[in-house]
Amino acid sequence: MPSRLTVNGEPVEGEIDPRRSLSDFLREDLGLTGTHVGCEHGVCGACTVLVDGHSARACLLLAVQCEGAAVTTIEGLTPPEGLSPLQDAFRACHGLQCGFCTPGMIVLAHELLTHNPSPSAEEIREALSANLCMCTGYVMIARAVAQAAAARA
Amino acid sequence: MSGAGWVGRALPLREDARLVAGRGRFLDDLVPGRALHVAMLRSPHAHAGIVSIDVDAAAALPGVVGVLTGADAAALSRPIRPLIPTAVPVDDWCLAVDRARYVGEPVAAVAAIDRATAEDAVELVRVEWEPLRAAVDAGAGARGEAPLLYPELGTNVLWHDTLTYGDVDGAFARADGVLEERFEFSRYASTPLETFGCIADWDAGTDAYRFWTNDQRPGLTMAILAESLGVPQARIHLTCPDIGGGFGNKRRPAYLLICALLARRAGRPVKYLEDRRENLSALMHAAGGVMHLRLAYRADGALLALSIRDVTDEGKNLVSPAQHNLIKLGNIANGYRIRAVRYEAWSVLTNKCPAGANRGIGKPFMCFAVERALTLLARRLDLDPAELRQRNYVTASEMPYTTPPGAVYDSGDYPATLRAALERFDYAGRRREQAAARAAGRLLGIGIATSVEPAGTNLASYEIITGRRAASGSAEAAMVRIEPDGRVRAALGDPPSGQGYETVVAQIVADELGLAPDQVDVARGFDSASTPWLYLSGNYSNKFSVTDTGAVVGAARRVRDKLFRIAAHRLEADAADLELRDGAVGVRGASARALTLKELARTAYADVLGLPAGEEPGLEARHAHQNPLARPMDAERRVPSQLVFANAAHVCLVEVDPSTGGVKILAYVVVHDCGRELNPLIVEGMVHGSTAHGIGAALLEAFRYDAGGQLLTSTFMDYLKPTALDVPDIDVGRLEHPSPFTPLGAKGVGEGGAIPGPACVANAVEDALAQYDVTVRELPITPEQIWRWLARRP
Repeated sequence: MPSRLTVNGEPVEGEIDPRRSLSDFLREDLGLTGTHVGCEHGVCGACTVLVDGHSARACLLLAVQCEGAAVTTIEGLTPPEGLSPLQDAFRACHGLQCGFCTPGMIVLAHELLTHNPSPSAEEIREALSANLCMCTGYVMIARAVAQAAAARA
Repeated sequence: MSGAGWVGRALPLREDARLVAGRGRFLDDLVPGRALHVAMLRSPHAHAGIVSIDVDAAAALPGVVGVLTGADAAALSRPIRPLIPTAVPVDDWCLAVDRARYVGEPVAAVAAIDRATAEDAVELVRVEWEPLRAAVDAGAGARGEAPLLYPELGTNVLWHDTLTYGDVDGAFARADGVLEERFEFSRYASTPLETFGCIADWDAGTDAYRFWTNDQRPGLTMAILAESLGVPQARIHLTCPDIGGGFGNKRRPAYLLICALLARRAGRPVKYLEDRRENLSALMHAAGGVMHLRLAYRADGALLALSIRDVTDEGKNLVSPAQHNLIKLGNIANGYRIRAVRYEAWSVLTNKCPAGANRGIGKPFMCFAVERALTLLARRLDLDPAELRQRNYVTASEMPYTTPPGAVYDSGDYPATLRAALERFDYAGRRREQAAARAAGRLLGIGIATSVEPAGTNLASYEIITGRRAASGSAEAAMVRIEPDGRVRAALGDPPSGQGYETVVAQIVADELGLAPDQVDVARGFDSASTPWLYLSGNYSNKFSVTDTGAVVGAARRVRDKLFRIAAHRLEADAADLELRDGAVGVRGASARALTLKELARTAYADVLGLPAGEEPGLEARHAHQNPLARPMDAERRVPSQLVFANAAHVCLVEVDPSTGGVKILAYVVVHDCGRELNPLIVEGMVHGSTAHGIGAALLEAFRYDAGGQLLTSTFMDYLKPTALDVPDIDVGRLEHPSPFTPLGAKGVGEGGAIPGPACVANAVEDALAQYDVTVRELPITPEQIWRWLARRP
């Protein structure tokens, strides 16, 4: 069906198969492979993107449900040159290992820091608990988010 | 900056720069032109005969290009050779033929223009099933009371033997007491966030196959593919891209074979990636099982002998049967001086997902049993659990120490590790805190568990089972090349799955060649056509720090030696007078007499008449290293199943909430000793992550099957992983006793907390419930279990 939405600030318009998930649409139709798919049932959060500024599971949304919405992926949170301060903090703290959950974690952390620029350690943990990481045990992810928050302050 | 000293620094990872931007290249990010997508029909039954399969409707669906059944697979390929030959040969094809043996076993596969069409087609395949009674209890299989998976074998037992080292009977006769327990360990898995998959293509013109896969053990897989497809290994080209986590799970040669046969049938590349349900139900589980343990001790707490009967639930594992048993045997005594050991091994087939490699393979269960036994013995003898351990450790002065089954503990100070952990934890202070909390009605518990952590697998240990040696030792290959422009490139046969090898290898090569790491490019992943590799190549058994490092150092030194020979010739100096300085080779004490790597590379690659007489052009070296601690089996059936040993002490504080049965970890301290740390940033991450796996196994994760063999936990809604709220801020301390048996003094750290973690948390929960006289005998400890214990009332 015909659809119109905005992805990373760019208007996207065209026919979208009604059963196409947002994650498949982003990855396969738009080539935005930074959004990863880990479970396809909404638990792991690897596919987390922002829809109108709020984190959402791209695997649980149909692309046609995003009619008129503004979708932001990890590509949209990455500056053309270099990395964002949040990404720099993840790298400095090694808040990742295999990197598969990382785009989703960064989207999640971006949302947290947008709404709560100085989160407590508990608030960081609470926010990150939306997504799964199988490698790090979360300690250095939480450290990275805290460091990014401190750098903004 | 250049020169020695890059190894050991907490350098931020170069990989991380691409991964934080979503610029990794994982398997699902690759799609060759004209690629088809594969979906699999999987058995809904734990055990059932396949009477007939009708694929006509599926094949007729528009968009479907190829369909493959078990009968096709049997006609077009050869069975997958088992690592251990069974008494009667049984054929293990890439698709089920005639009979399915676990829920989720692939029985047919469809290639179509997209995944959705392939899944639609799978629903059109009609199978007539003849359901059979399922074998779900390995114990029943051991007793000969279970339905047979392979009637031609006449048994579900793949291996049964009793191994005795030292005077076990004498020790039990002399003992002041014997502690006896039964422990049970659930099936669980590390579930890397990226699922397993592959892309296969067939070149009709050369009868050659091309694979892209996130298989973490490509060396062994190459051999299986060539044998099953009936082509020489030279016609298989396999590439590993970025791998999104491995933990041992990321392997299934059968899926590569299915895709290869479909690619051949369709004449187009085909791609398959598991969905999460397929991953949880059919890829790989850590083997569950039951251990009966008997521990002979003296009244002063000295451990005299350990006897274990271990029934391992293999599922339908013909690929690596008894692997858990052999590794448990190799680590049976943990860090303790127990000179008499008996191990009765049972490796039993059941109608469940194949068991296989999962972070620590067998050691988490082995450590759980021994560390639970030590804790129970301390209670019985009214000793502090730390004190009982201190009385029994192998000490630093006994190193290198050979354990009864033949493992060599190379270095370390186990008593010091525990002392450091207790100090870091403020053990005495926390005990007071616990007493005060208990007086106030709170349920606080402290757990201690310590472990050895080996690195590098020695497949010669299979000789215990087969009586003959096939593969053996721990080895890896690497390449270092100074390119014609003077920059350095390195490649390794071990494709990382999150361990940062591009960064660490650059650190190692930089030290060897007197450069900065950013002057060294390291190949991503693995490519059988350009990476040096061995049958033993791969990302497994903690082997990077103890084996791979030798390959990298060796290759870099060969290149350096050649550089020196060329430089000596060009500078008319003696090679012994040369030194590396900042990307150049110069004469010691003569600052003007030097040539840059770029100038030397020009000689090596272009101006080859400038080479010394007889010197081969080029500046590239390959080196393969094997760890010196591997040995064949001796006459007493002693053989090190694993090699260099790190060690760790875990101490944690938990609180049980009597209103919910929930367990909260309030503090968690790890002190570990993995020898020389190559990059402490990576090491710390590994310690956290592996400990989180231990916490998951202790409190959350279990694959539950019902009596009919149906898997009840096939999504992340009911197979629970630890979240950021379940894992505490793990506090890590370290000791560094370098290994004398590895080139850089490093030891393994990847399995880490996955080994003692389950025991540590279990010991703490039991301590929290001391007034209820609880004994933790199985994992995970669920809120329901705690509720049942509390319902007993003190």
